Amino acid sequence: MSPKLRVAASIALKEARHILRDPLTLAMALGMPVILVTLFGFIIDFHYKNISVSLFDHDKTPASRSFARSLGAANYFRVLPSEDARNPEHTLADNASFAALIINPGFGRDLDNPEDKPAIQLLLDGSDNAKTGIAMGYFQKAAALGLSAARGQRPPPESTPLSTRFLFNHELNSRWFIIPGLTVVICGLIGILLTALTVAREWENGSMEMLLSTPARPGAIIAGKLAPYLLLGFCGVAFVYAAARLVFGVPFCGSHALYALSCVLFLLAATAQGLFISIVTRQQQLAMQFAIVSGLLPSLLLSGFVFPVASMPEFFRYFTFILPPRWFMEISRGIFLKGSGLADLWPQLLMQALLCAVLIKLALKKFKTDLEP
Amino acid sequence: MNETPSVLVKNLTIRFGAFTAVDDISFSVGKGEIFGFLGANGAGKTTTIRALCGLLTPSSGEISVAGATPLEPELLKARIGYMSQRFTLYPDLTVDENLAFAGALRKMTPGQAKKRSEELLDFTGFSFGRAKLVRELPGGARQQVALAAAVLHDPQVIFLDEPTAGVSAQAREQFWALIRRMAKQDKTVFVTTHYMDEAEECGRIALMSAGKIIALDSPANLEKTAFKNPLYETLAPEGVNLAQEAKLSGAGHAEPAGLKWRVEVSNPAAWEKLCADKKLLPHPAKPTLEDVFLKLVGAGK
Repeated sequence: MSPKLRVAASIALKEARHILRDPLTLAMALGMPVILVTLFGFIIDFHYKNISVSLFDHDKTPASRSFARSLGAANYFRVLPSEDARNPEHTLADNASFAALIINPGFGRDLDNPEDKPAIQLLLDGSDNAKTGIAMGYFQKAAALGLSAARGQRPPPESTPLSTRFLFNHELNSRWFIIPGLTVVICGLIGILLTALTVAREWENGSMEMLLSTPARPGAIIAGKLAPYLLLGFCGVAFVYAAARLVFGVPFCGSHALYALSCVLFLLAATAQGLFISIVTRQQQLAMQFAIVSGLLPSLLLSGFVFPVASMPEFFRYFTFILPPRWFMEISRGIFLKGSGLADLWPQLLMQALLCAVLIKLALKKFKTDLEP
Repeated sequence: MNETPSVLVKNLTIRFGAFTAVDDISFSVGKGEIFGFLGANGAGKTTTIRALCGLLTPSSGEISVAGATPLEPELLKARIGYMSQRFTLYPDLTVDENLAFAGALRKMTPGQAKKRSEELLDFTGFSFGRAKLVRELPGGARQQVALAAAVLHDPQVIFLDEPTAGVSAQAREQFWALIRRMAKQDKTVFVTTHYMDEAEECGRIALMSAGKIIALDSPANLEKTAFKNPLYETLAPEGVNLAQEAKLSGAGHAEPAGLKWRVEVSNPAAWEKLCADKKLLPHPAKPTLEDVFLKLVGAGK
């Protein structure tokens, strides 16, 4: 081993001891992936079922009953009978149901009179946008089926010559969409936050000065310090990958090598960002706040993890170009679900490599000008 | 003293923005010398040491340490040992791990580092388990380990910035035994301290105030030259401000020293009159470094 490598290795060994002896770092590095996967995988679900609907049937004809029954037939809606005298709005206000369906008198009669519109009214709880939009979509489809049922007909063929099929995620299973994205959040967390903390700690203790008063090169110091965190980040990715495949049955259609390459690029960029933060702040507390604002929040909010980049305001849409998580998110989903290869993902990989190079350059430059006279 | 100085500083100035921390200082230190740096906090001692260790770029002036300049940082850093004022061991590593790490940074083999650290710890009388985490050690023992880590690679020049802060009197004695031994081996020891009895141990002392060296000599010479007039020590009756009285009567200059006063007498007749008036029973006193320090720093202001 060359002397420079030996120095880096001994720093890495020391750093590994810090990690293993600090319960907080260890808990954060190993516990956060578990918590995030549990949270996003099991609890948060954008796939609504059994939306409760209070039924106000003022028509009371076989047709109206048939319509209501058909609505509850699939598991999307749970139809709750309600007292006629109640104000439908109240059932929403006191959370007795998410929606209220009012079938006005004459519904059954007018059914046979196709010129008039059937007198149905749907009240939805608009305080939960996401759920309302999805419920609305379900209802339009269900109502069409319900009307044919009420008329005693077979379901009509699609009225327009439009056939929809969801590729790559046939059921629009939100877990398939979320879990591959979690690798981004976890790598960002470990890479940026833990790195920022560990280097800031050396500053705070004054031990960085001791390191720099030795002939060890700044490059070797940094490489040694960051290596264990790259490994931890990789463990986080491996954990999410295992959970995705084994627990949630998410398909992995692309190349593992390409995915690993993209992970390395992202982790390098994240650790460089963490390093930069720690050099600028030189305090753990401040480094933590900077890391959360500049690292964790963009990974969660601006990467397209939950909120699509395409529907962001124009400024933010362009702003995401300089965020490594945004590119890694596209790559992660592309490789997992679509089996995209180098031919499809080269622009994203190129952006990743570019941002990674810029961040490393920036961190090393700041490190050198501040420390190496 | 050897012909080639180990530490050579010429017109060194270090500015931080508009603030001048070190103001045009020059000195040289020979091999085998114990060189003391004395001065109040903020006088520029630590800043000077950091520049000598290659941790700071001077605004102007020349530095040469152990034959290397800051333009050859690796050479310079390989030849020096630095124990900073702040505690620089890793509290969550054991004594052995800390020392092995220090050795690895100095590119020593694990075997060399182990042998040398055992020898150093034995010499300083380190009496704790080496498998103990550093955070479990008392302050004095931590400093012993920190010192061992700083001199593990047997550097030619050793910078110790307040090495004995928070160390018991007995441990301090062992510390100094090690420092003297290193000086005997022709190493240069550069030390800052707040303890006057430690300063007396130094071959030469530089007194720093507001970024300048205001005196530089052996402790004995400093004591001789700083006080041209005789010095007396006396108790004063309660309510008597002797500093004021001495000044008003023109007898000389008085400084409080604990319960007593130390008076440098420039006018013996006026002094005798003052003693009679205030019923003082003065003894002739030998100037200490503390007197020198107070006098010179006071004069500089």
